[in-house]
Parts: sequence; C-alpha cells; structure tokens
Amino acid sequence: MAKTPPIRILLAKLGLDTHTVGVTVIAHALRDAGMEVIFSGLKQTPEMVANTAIQEDVDVVGVSSLSAGHMRNIPMLARLLREKGGGDKLLIVGGVIPEEDMPMLLEAGVSKIFTMGADTRDIIAYLQAWRAAQAVAAPAS
Amino acid sequence: MNEPRPPRDFTPDPAAELEAHEASWRTETRGPYLQRHPERKEAFRTQALKWDIKPLYTPADLEAVGFDYLKDSGFPGEYPFTRGNNPNGNRSQLWTMAQVTGFGRGLEWSKRARYLLDQGLQGLILEYDLPTTNGYDSDNPLVAGEVGRAGMALDSLEDLEQAFDLPFDKLKYLMSVCNAPQPINLAMIIAALEKKGVDPKDFVLHIVNGILIEYTCVGRYIYPPEHGMRIAADCFEYIVRNHPHWQPISIIAAQLQPARANPVQEMAFSISIAMEYIDAMLARGFDIDTIAPYFHFVINVDMDFFEGVCKLRAFRKTWAKLMRERYGATNPAALKLRYMSSPATASLTLQQPLNNIGRLAIMATACALAGPGETMTTPLHDEAHALPAEEAIRVGAAIQHIVAHETGVADTIDPLAGSYYVEALTKKIEDEACAEIDRIKAMGGALKAIEQGYFQRVLGREQYERNRDLETGARKLVGVNHLVAPEEKRELEIWRLDDEMEQTQIEKLRQLRARRDNPAVEAAIERVREAARSGANLVEPCLEAVKLYATHGELCDALRDVFGVHHADSQTVGV
Repeated sequence: MAKTPPIRILLAKLGLDTHTVGVTVIAHALRDAGMEVIFSGLKQTPEMVANTAIQEDVDVVGVSSLSAGHMRNIPMLARLLREKGGGDKLLIVGGVIPEEDMPMLLEAGVSKIFTMGADTRDIIAYLQAWRAAQAVAAPAS
Repeated sequence: MNEPRPPRDFTPDPAAELEAHEASWRTETRGPYLQRHPERKEAFRTQALKWDIKPLYTPADLEAVGFDYLKDSGFPGEYPFTRGNNPNGNRSQLWTMAQVTGFGRGLEWSKRARYLLDQGLQGLILEYDLPTTNGYDSDNPLVAGEVGRAGMALDSLEDLEQAFDLPFDKLKYLMSVCNAPQPINLAMIIAALEKKGVDPKDFVLHIVNGILIEYTCVGRYIYPPEHGMRIAADCFEYIVRNHPHWQPISIIAAQLQPARANPVQEMAFSISIAMEYIDAMLARGFDIDTIAPYFHFVINVDMDFFEGVCKLRAFRKTWAKLMRERYGATNPAALKLRYMSSPATASLTLQQPLNNIGRLAIMATACALAGPGETMTTPLHDEAHALPAEEAIRVGAAIQHIVAHETGVADTIDPLAGSYYVEALTKKIEDEACAEIDRIKAMGGALKAIEQGYFQRVLGREQYERNRDLETGARKLVGVNHLVAPEEKRELEIWRLDDEMEQTQIEKLRQLRARRDNPAVEAAIERVREAARSGANLVEPCLEAVKLYATHGELCDALRDVFGVHHADSQTVGV
C-alpha cells in the first residue's frame, strides 16, 4: 500500500503584521506532526502568497492574522487562489478574528478559523481529518 | 591578603560538618516525611530556564558556584554593582514611577499629550503607526488599513508640526520609537523643534534606535541588517556630537521576552546587541568612557519571581564586568547599567483580567527588590481588552505606590542578597549569560548572529516549547489551563478600519506634494542617496530634505534605492 504523502502547508503573514510567535509555534508543531511546512516570509501581499501557494504546490494555506487587515486581505487571497487555479487548496486562518467577522470569512472561502489560544493538537487533528476525508472522496490512483 | 588570618572557628572543617548534617537531615528528617508525603510534582524547575530547583539551598551551594562576597556582590554603588547602582538604594529617593500609555490615533496625539502634561507628566513616548515604522507613506497601497492605527501617522514635517502644538515649557523628555527610518525620524523631530523655537539644550530627546531587536523579533525593519546597523550608528554619532545630553539608544530587552527569550538569552542577546553598537562607535573613533554611559536598557521581570530578581542582579554585574574587563572602561558612569524595569506584559493573561492585578503586584515587588533602575513602568491589567480605562491607569500607578510605601521592600538595600538560593541563581545566570555572550562573539557578534538567523531560531524553539508546556499542562497558568472559567466570554478589542481617517491623511499628503518646491525636494533626496552611497552621516542630508517637506516614505525609498531591502525567510524569522 502506498504511503500517504505528508500534508504540505504554506504558513503566511500578510501586510505589516509582524507578530510571529503564533505562526512559529504552529510551524514547529505541524513539522513535529510530520507535515511539510513552508513559510511565506513577512510583509507579503495576497498576490505574493497566492503565487507561492501555487508554485510550491501546497495542499493547505494557513494565514496567521493579528491585525485588523483580515477582512480585506483574506477574502482577496481566497479570490486570487481561485483565479490562479488553486481553488482546491484548503484555506485556514488563525489569530485574532472577532466572532462577528467569521461568517464573512467562511463565506469568502476560508474553511476553518482557529482563534487565539487554540490548541495545536486540535489544528493537527483538523488537518489530518481533512486529509483522510479527501482520501476517501478521491482514492489515490 | 598575604598574611593568613588565624581561623575564627575552632571547628576543624565547617564544610564537612555541614555536609554531614545535611546528609543526616536528608535521611533522618526529610526521608521519612517524603515516605508519607510524596512531592506534588515530578520535577521542580524554574519557569523559563527550566533549571532544576533543589528542595533546599545552603552555604554549600554558594561554595559550589565559587561565590565570593566581595568579588561577586560587593557594595551598592560600587563595582560590580550587583547590589545596585545607587549607594543608598531607594532610601534617599524612590525610583521614578512611570506608565506607558497608548496615544490613540495620530491626529489626536497632540490633544492627548496636552492632557497628560496637564496631569503633571514631564515625559512622553511617541509611537508611530506601522506604515511609518516600516518606511511607507500613508498613500502606499501596501499599508491600506494600517494608517494611524498603532500610533501616529507620520508622512512629513507637517504632521510633527501639528503634533508638537504643545507647551514645551512643560515637556522635558520625549522618547521616539521609530527604528528602521531613524535618521529621517530624528531629522523630522529636530526640524520640528527648530520651527517651534525649542532650545535643544532645554529638552531631552531619546531615540530608541533599536534596529537589531527589530530583526530579531519585532519585525519593523526595512534594509538589510548591515545597513540598518550603519543607520543606527549614524544617528548615535549625530546625537553624541551635536546634542550630547540627548539619548541615542535604548536596548529594549523587554521586547525579547514576549518572543520567549529566557533570562540568559535576554541578557546575552541584548548585551551582544549593545556590543555591536559599541564596536561600531569605537570604530568611528569614540572611546569607551564617552559612549558607554549612553547605553540604556528596558528590562522586564517575568512571573518567575527568582529568575526575575536574579536576572536584574546578574545583568548589572555582567555589564560592569564587561565594560571594565573587556572594554577597559574606567569612567564609573560607563560601568553602571542604566535601565528601566517593568513587570512583563507578556505574563498577563487575556482570561480573567482582574487576576493580572495580582500578577502585576508580584512582578513590581520583584523589580523593587532586585533594584528597579532609574524608572519603573507598569503595564495595565486590562491592556489586551480595551483602550486603558481610567481605573486601570489608576490601579497601575497604585501598585507601584503600594510596593514602595506599604511593603517595606524599598527600605533596605538589595534585601534578598545573601539568600543561598538567590546568590547561587544570580551566579549561574551570570555564568551562563557570559558563556552565551562569548558564543555570539565567536559567531562574529550580534549582527552576524542575526544575519544567520541564530537569535531567531533559538527564540522560535523557545516559543514552541513554552506553548507545548502550557498545552500539556506541564506549566500551570491560572485562567488559561488552570482554574479556567468555562463560561468566560473573551472580549477582544479589535481596531476597526477607519477609512475616513486614512483618507484625510492621504488627502493632506496629496496637497503637500502639490504645494512644495518639487525640484528642490528631488535634489535634496538625491543628496540623501549620495550620502548613503558615500558613507557620510545620513542625518544632515535628511535634515535638509525634511525641511523642504520631502516625505518620510520618499526618503525611505531613497535609502531603499541604495541599500536594498531585507527579506525575512523561514531561517531569519525562526519559523
């Protein structure tokens, strides 16, 4: 039986938000869980992140957001991913997201939002469940 | 020294006697007790350093680390300053009690500053928004939504002229926090003071000028680190030559702590950063006794009480020894670590914010016991939730007064000295920090270590491990993973984008660009590029350009043309 390839995830920071503790913790935890983690670098535009996601052929894009820019940046990233042929990638968000903003982000194409203080084990479990569901829906040839 | 004193004690070997007694205590007294009452934890460790904590410390522990009272502690106000900088501790005067308060939005700065000056404050801290600290004008598409949010929007001298509509007979000290574009910011403040007719001798400007911390963890950088360092040294030199009573540097070790630096890393990284500045200034022909007294640190004390106390004691001693032994300083002012202490904001929790009042009181007590420096600031217990409410500001100030007047901790000098645990831990932190400083030096110094991502990777690992300790419950944090209130609703304060404020600022900038003498501005900007290329001090040409209303972003771009920009990747962020 072929071994399932590890989940490839791009972790991204958008705009001038340079708070990196959260994204660093997630990156280490996901790597320890066997995933391949790519980091976008800082001060990225949605365009740059969408391009990287496609070039690096990742399965998942995770945006860490600790500024007020999420309502502008994240829907733009979701749209660019679709336009550039990366609409199948799972888009998840973590950070400071007020409850009232969540429906709009989910509507825009975000699959899951983890707010500040989320347990890394829950994030790993979520990604593994998503991968398992995918394997059922489209068994590897 | 030469003639051995007769033994005062007739016990043949006090150390052996102590050891024998301790061994019997362990087996006869403590052993049976442990049989009936096993310890409540598998291991006791300090919070950040994760060093094992013994059940009991005795004189043998001082012996083990080679503690020598005169050499390691000495007397207050004397080398190596372990027992404090002031020869009379806090008995003649208390530390200056300060508070860092947010200023809201840019256009309101002047109004808010006037209010604070009316309350009797003489010093202010000026923070700028992210577009400014990252070197962009307000109309740059990359910064949409960030204008005026985290501080004042500064596009041109015009903005500072408005902000400085202040009674300068009351304002005696201003700290400006704008690291990457430091020469432009310094030039704008000098030009604005000139326009207001303020005598620079009558006033102290303190620039933080802390670009190396930005690369390490804060992220508000523009140019590659070596150019960032040159910019910082230009500003340092300009101030020492032109306004020698101003303050050209503050090393905010306290910013390393939210990035999870442990006390050894915090000391070693920030002192290594100071050494990078010192070496740059020595290379420019200054001597150590002139420049060392300019160094100023901001140091946090975290919730691990003894780590915090011992870190402050070891910090003073390490600085003194470094200045004297490595740099050959003789000026007493060069040997004394100048610093401001503060309870750590990163130790406060979002959950159950009233608990933070207790945390603040404990951390402020630790600062006072260890030597609070010239100034202590207290963060506010509800900072994560909202703009500081008046009550939080009042409680924050009251905490310092309670510590100072009600507890007695400020009434004798360095009262924890002589504790077997405190002295052993102080010595161990000092030894480990010195070893790390040597390792960083061997890498080529702080600048090289940052370029190679060493600081960032070390901190990234700490961030992960400390988060894991919370998730697994290895470390208990009240309200977060212990005594959690299940029904607690978290109310986060989220800034909403204020498009109108942003549009007003952009419109103001557009009008300025149309109104000014553009050919003269262009020529002045070109002179900044030339200085950047030739290595001439950047402050003078920036001063000429800002007076012609060249904008902050235009000047930052001129330096980008010459220096390029810093790209942080996984390695240099530590992700």
